[in-house]
Amino acid sequence: MSKLLTVDPSLCTGCHRCEMWCSMTKYGEVNPSRSNVYVIRREPAVDVPIVCMQCGLCLSACPTGALTREGSTDAVTVDANLCAGCGTCVNVCPYGVLRFDEETNLAAKCDLCGGDPACANHCPQGAIRYEEINKAAARRRELWAMAFASKVR
Amino acid sequence: MWYGYAGKLLRVDLTNGEIKMEELDKNELRKYIGCVGYAAKLLYKEMPGGIDPLAPEAKVVLATGPITGTLSPSGGSYEVCYKSPLSGTWNQARSGGAFGPKLKYAGFDFVVIEGKAAEPVYLYINDGKAEIRPAKHLWGLNVEETTDALIKELDDPEVSVAAIGQAGENGVLYAALINDRGRAAGRGGIGAVFGSKNLKAVTVNGNGGIKVAKPKDFMDAVSKAEQWLKNYLLAGIPTMGTIGLVSLHDSLGILPTKNFQTAHFEKADEISGEKFNREYNIKKRACYGCTFACGRYSSVNNGSFYTPPMEGPEYETVDMLGANCGVHDMEAIIRGNFLCNVYGLDTVSTGMSIAFAMECYEKGLLTEKDTDGLSLHWGNAEVMVQLVEKIANKEGFGEFLAQGVKRMAEKLGPDSEEAAIHVKGLELPAHEPRSESKVLAVQYATSPRGACHMHPNWPATWDFGQLDCGMKELGVPWPPTEVPDESAKKGTAYRYVALQGEISENLGACIFYSWGSEGNCITPQLYAEMVSALTGWDVTAEELLTAADRSWNLKRCFNAREGFTRKDDKLPKRFSQAIPDGPSEGGKVENLDVMLDAYYEAMNWDKETGLPKPEKLKELGMDFAIINN
Repeated sequence: MSKLLTVDPSLCTGCHRCEMWCSMTKYGEVNPSRSNVYVIRREPAVDVPIVCMQCGLCLSACPTGALTREGSTDAVTVDANLCAGCGTCVNVCPYGVLRFDEETNLAAKCDLCGGDPACANHCPQGAIRYEEINKAAARRRELWAMAFASKVR
Repeated sequence: MWYGYAGKLLRVDLTNGEIKMEELDKNELRKYIGCVGYAAKLLYKEMPGGIDPLAPEAKVVLATGPITGTLSPSGGSYEVCYKSPLSGTWNQARSGGAFGPKLKYAGFDFVVIEGKAAEPVYLYINDGKAEIRPAKHLWGLNVEETTDALIKELDDPEVSVAAIGQAGENGVLYAALINDRGRAAGRGGIGAVFGSKNLKAVTVNGNGGIKVAKPKDFMDAVSKAEQWLKNYLLAGIPTMGTIGLVSLHDSLGILPTKNFQTAHFEKADEISGEKFNREYNIKKRACYGCTFACGRYSSVNNGSFYTPPMEGPEYETVDMLGANCGVHDMEAIIRGNFLCNVYGLDTVSTGMSIAFAMECYEKGLLTEKDTDGLSLHWGNAEVMVQLVEKIANKEGFGEFLAQGVKRMAEKLGPDSEEAAIHVKGLELPAHEPRSESKVLAVQYATSPRGACHMHPNWPATWDFGQLDCGMKELGVPWPPTEVPDESAKKGTAYRYVALQGEISENLGACIFYSWGSEGNCITPQLYAEMVSALTGWDVTAEELLTAADRSWNLKRCFNAREGFTRKDDKLPKRFSQAIPDGPSEGGKVENLDVMLDAYYEAMNWDKETGLPKPEKLKELGMDFAIINN
């Protein structure tokens, strides 16, 4: 059974380690602006990690077939040989978790590190986790419920 | 090609509006490793002795190190190095947040600022570019308003802003530079230096990364650090924040209270970390890359001390605006902290200046005629908060307070001297040398910036905590067994405490990560592994130690050129008198001279003058710093 990345913003301290680990793993440099996970830190006291949910909305938009769902992890991944760097996927992603990498001239997105995601492995607060799908789904329901609850309260 | 470092220095002359970028010299940089060490070299060579710190000729260095902005959990720091208008000595003010890392991502390890702009300006740094831009519209705004305005003006919510508030504009001698709204390069008056240059703020952002020479080795070293830090001994720092120290310090009799008249506070429970976490804490927040997240956000939702969400308070602030002023109202402390953040004031010197005035008031040396009619009795929370505003705006009695303790005592005369708790003009922070740590007494007496508990290290780790911090593995005897006398032992030990801290300063690292021993903190050996992998150089812990020795000696030489010698390495009189009551009753600093002798000897400094001997400087390859008498 595959796993999912889940996020609990209430645990995030805004340290950006996930972004640093992501860029380190993918490009061998520390560069949060080349990360495929994102931490939104705003004032006052807002820290929210944003990760790709692998929803696949970008899949059908890609004109060259460079985006495919990878078998073992269910991650949507970019095939560097097929990607034309047109940016269509970035355009259609409603969550803003795809980006155009200006050094490689390719689309860049989370590929779950092939099933061993560096961001979750190294999050010091447990704010990003890589969990079994049922546990992850329960966590997602909880977050949606609580987000709604805070509005009606 | 540069690895680990950005490789560039940005030079800004505000007088003629000139901006230059220089490639760093790798050999020269490696001698000092970076950050404070390299900044010491720059300032020693470029800024002759005797310059007025508030004159256009005074230079300021914003400095990062090889660790800054990398995956080392300690990499969230930068340091501002300058000559302090408060003490006339060398100063280095460290701050966390995002500013240091972003400066490197923008392509610069160092920024050297000199001159004075004709009108208010701010310095804009973005992706390898820099511009001096007008800031007339920002002058008079507080730090919060300035930050908001710049984020809007630059249309960049991710930009990091370091700004001064009204305190810096008005030349309060302990005005701070505040970055990311609530992180302070706090001590020594860098805010006043910025103000004197008409420099309101520096903004940084960039998309450049830090290249890593050996990515796999670096990730291995960082993973090792992450594992080791799971065993971190000072677990209260991540779990409680520094404010957790309040009740611990009170129970041990090491909580400075009522201007250091005693070391425990009967109402410590009311300002404790436990109470704070129950009632005021919003959440914990980290500096860039930090796994501890000792920062706390808090607010006061209503009442006379209403405070919107803000960063703080830290232990230092709670003691200084709280116990040390006899104040036991947590809401007043949070409000006072907020005002220091937005006006841009050092909370330590602010609290100490108020406490000094309160003691003088209680003793009749100041009356309501002097204080704008305010009653400065111990514990008057409302007055404490009012005074913070008066200081920042130099309004009425605030103008007197804004000069700091040393100058106030000079004006009030000898009777006030007993209450003047400072070394070389820098007020003491919230650490008691009589009961917390005797090694701390040596640091207070000799630290290049005056009374400081953090630069370059927290000496209590040695005699209070018995932590070797990896120095034993470095071949340093721990404790120094060759010295039989207890006082002399502490003096000798201080050399190792100082150099171990200086290693961290030169890396641009947060010192909190350096406390412990192999397996539970980041030791010099582990830093050497990280820096080697980052830079591709073969850096050993011994090399880091030698670089630390260089910068530590050089800062001493910087102060020597300003006229400071052994005669200035002293403590306020109060510390040779016993703590009158509480758990640490009877504690005092004895044999400071014996400790100093041992320390100078360990450093190979002349015992009479307290200055580095020429042969010592030659040995370190710093002939240029030899002082010709």
